[in-house]
Amino acid sequence: MSTTMIAMGIIASVVGVALAGLTAIVGRGLRSHRIAQVILAMSTAIGATVSVAFLVARHAPLAVWSFPSLYGMTFVLYPLGAVFFALVSTVACAASIYAIRYVADHAAAYRIPHLNAATAVFVLGMQGVLLAHSVIAFMLAWEAMSIAAFFLIMADRAEQSIRAALTYVVVTHLGAAAILSGFFILSGGNAFVDYATLVARAAGRSPTQLLVAATLFLIGFGSKAGLVPLHGWLPEAHPQAPSHISALMSGAMLKVAVYGFMLTMTLLPPLPGGFGIAVLAVGLCSGIAGALGAAVNRDIKQTLAWSSIEHLGIIFSMLGLSLFASAHGLAALAGIAAAAALFHCVAHALFKSGLFLTAGAVVHATHTRSLEGMGGIARRMPMTSVAFLILVLSAAALPPFGAFYSEWTFLRGIVGTLHAADPLVLAVLVVTLCASACIGGIGIFAMIKLFAIASLGQPRSDGALHAVEAPRLLRYPILALAAGMLAAGAWATALFRLLGADAIAPTAARGNLVAAGGTISPGVVLGILLGALALAAVAGRIASGRMRFRSAPTWDCGQPITAAMEYTATAFGAPMRFFFRSIIQHHKVIASTPVVATNAYIRTRSMTLASRMLSMTYIQQPVVNLLLWKSAQLRRLQNGAIQFYLILIFIALTATLVLAV
Amino acid sequence: MTPASSTIIQVACVVLLAPFATGMVRWAKARLQGRRGASPLLPYVTIATLLRKEMVVSPVTSWVFHLTPFVVLGTALALAALLPLMSAFGAFAGHDDFIFVSALLALGAVFLVLGGLDPGSAFGGMGASREMTIAALIEPAMITTFAAFAVASGTGSVSGMLAVGGAGIVAQPALIASIAALVLVMLAENARYPVDNPATHLELTMVHEAMVLEYSGPYLAMLELASSVKLAVFALLLGNMIVPNFLLVSGIGAVGVLLAIAVAIAKVSVAMVLLALLESSIPKMRFYRMQEYCAVAFLLAFAGLVLTVTQVLV
Repeated sequence: MSTTMIAMGIIASVVGVALAGLTAIVGRGLRSHRIAQVILAMSTAIGATVSVAFLVARHAPLAVWSFPSLYGMTFVLYPLGAVFFALVSTVACAASIYAIRYVADHAAAYRIPHLNAATAVFVLGMQGVLLAHSVIAFMLAWEAMSIAAFFLIMADRAEQSIRAALTYVVVTHLGAAAILSGFFILSGGNAFVDYATLVARAAGRSPTQLLVAATLFLIGFGSKAGLVPLHGWLPEAHPQAPSHISALMSGAMLKVAVYGFMLTMTLLPPLPGGFGIAVLAVGLCSGIAGALGAAVNRDIKQTLAWSSIEHLGIIFSMLGLSLFASAHGLAALAGIAAAAALFHCVAHALFKSGLFLTAGAVVHATHTRSLEGMGGIARRMPMTSVAFLILVLSAAALPPFGAFYSEWTFLRGIVGTLHAADPLVLAVLVVTLCASACIGGIGIFAMIKLFAIASLGQPRSDGALHAVEAPRLLRYPILALAAGMLAAGAWATALFRLLGADAIAPTAARGNLVAAGGTISPGVVLGILLGALALAAVAGRIASGRMRFRSAPTWDCGQPITAAMEYTATAFGAPMRFFFRSIIQHHKVIASTPVVATNAYIRTRSMTLASRMLSMTYIQQPVVNLLLWKSAQLRRLQNGAIQFYLILIFIALTATLVLAV
Repeated sequence: MTPASSTIIQVACVVLLAPFATGMVRWAKARLQGRRGASPLLPYVTIATLLRKEMVVSPVTSWVFHLTPFVVLGTALALAALLPLMSAFGAFAGHDDFIFVSALLALGAVFLVLGGLDPGSAFGGMGASREMTIAALIEPAMITTFAAFAVASGTGSVSGMLAVGGAGIVAQPALIASIAALVLVMLAENARYPVDNPATHLELTMVHEAMVLEYSGPYLAMLELASSVKLAVFALLLGNMIVPNFLLVSGIGAVGVLLAIAVAIAKVSVAMVLLALLESSIPKMRFYRMQEYCAVAFLLAFAGLVLTVTQVLV
């Protein structure tokens, strides 16, 4: 595909998304909703196709659009931006196809024109961030994305959603302020410079200024990505949005934060290794916190949100290790870790958006978000549950699905570098290896709990009992994303090469992945698994002849089994809660009260279990308390006298002038 | 002998030997406890009987229940084909990357868990929750252990690690901690003492047995065979790490093949008697102390890795 066609395609995609928003807000009724979603799906499909074509052809950076009169804003498609552009567009395409039916079925809960318009602005903002080539364009698009997300979180106008959205908007604006300050430090206070100028100016900054800027970027993008300790808003906010928006947020918006961090790291001159260690530490802590949070959570969408924290933690630990390695002259490891991070972004975008869409379909069918009220989904929704299982196994980083290869590349890269002679490097690598393995183990637990408790056994509520297979328009995007994970696993080598990681997927290695001396062949892995499965099937059939089945109830020890006796998410996660009780503090209350005051023997019993992360008690809560206390003090200024406010404004203006001069 | 034929011999031998391994450990345990014990060949009869039976399947179950035995047996067979058990030059030598091997083990555990939960019985749920916890907590220990071997041998493939395991154990004393960790990992992976009691059918102690409780007939035979194969695989792997001799090599004749098979039987028997000795001398741990066991395994593995990587510094 020629560069002109790619540029045209990108413009068509962006304009199409804007058009979808316009259609949504102008039209009324379900008909215009469908038209808007179809336009959105088509334009994002074009965007995904042309950005993949751009990556395949390995074009040089391509100026797409330029507005010289508008502060010199230019939009350029870079290889790194193209990877994320393809991701965002793919996820948005799946989500908009899903939304055609999903939103129509929930017409009572949402104001559809507003929801669709906000969705289009949201996607437009993400695309804008990825194409932006100047600070002002980046920040404008970033704000469009963030503010649209705010309206999307509170789309159902429930009290809980509004509270989550308000928490989100505070955190996201602190983050945006941090990012903008970082840019200002680099550019010397000018927001209208493009990246090339920014790089030139950054070279002239002192090491301390650079470190402060890098830390601000870490705080800004890290808060958007839900990294510890600024993660508390994410499990509240993402699940409150409609499911296709949750998919967009976890699948696409978090990746935009990763893109922002990767972009700013390329803009900065090389940083000291200590910054890499800081990013690594934040990433690993987020990974462990996210995995544990997902392991003990009992809400299908919140579990997925915690798992997003885990995976973003993994991605940031990969990026941190890459920064650390390049500061210590380990170029090979730096490349491996960066490529693993990029691959994991792709994998996470696909499986997490698939999982959120699945969660939406399951919630749609069972009318509950609580895992305790589900069960028996695999029997009632077989097609959806097959995709669900594939996506869950991908999220657990098990072969032969895509995410296994990012984990393999990363761990293998570390192990292959463990013969380095620098004690600090060895210590960092050993700790990273062990912590990543822990995250992987707990992550498997969390994901299997999610699938097993939701899908297997007897239904534990009326909604789950009467669940039926999801309608086609909900099912197809989920199945497509599951197939995408299978393909990302089978053709992991090609995907690494598409992402530009030629060192990991060299042409000479004939389809093998190579990382620090270790090799693995995705094709052989898939072949071994399929071959072993076939062998087991054939052997089982031959040895037993024709298998005969008889139906009889589950063994019940002479007393009928009811759904109330089943293992629930609370019960399943109990060992994890117990073993990690110093990190996840939980508070269990078993109350027993007599039904009638005169009879002490007939009692009603109830159990409540609340759990909170250690970071909540020791980091978030003190900060919140401090802020509330300070706000209460500041409230004395709010005395209602307009003269007083005018004096305040006057003082502020004078102070600004004095500072500026 | 070609790599392909050595792999075929290996898979066939391991699968045929597997029920013997289970029978052997039961027999040795019975002898050590002063009972006469059933013949070590009893599991063959059990599996043959199960294969002829009709299956009783709960109406609550879904497609997951029917998929599980195939995936569990499949992962066990894949391990038998991949790992250097009787031949270090098999068709898949070089593809047995340690991260892939531990992921395969996790995949098998995951499907057992799913199969255990599908019939909706509390027993299955309890076993599943416990198995998943153990698998999740033992995974870091396994990766760390193998990482130490990988660093010591300079290769990520388990076949390559054998070279350091045996002759190198004297040259690489740091790996003794890793070998100890590997033993702990293997006991946990195979649901043996002190993690699980394989002889029990009492609910409070069950892990593995609780998950397969609802299976019957050929499915149960497949699951039993899979767990036996896993036991035999680990016995041979550990045996080869300590004594990497008498394996199938390219220029081997008929006598050599027979010798390799005889040595494999000997290795499995010795390992099973040692396992029986262990199981007769220690009690099973409470499940809610399992984090201590996993922490000890992880710390041993960590110590092994740290000692191995610091060797380059001195």
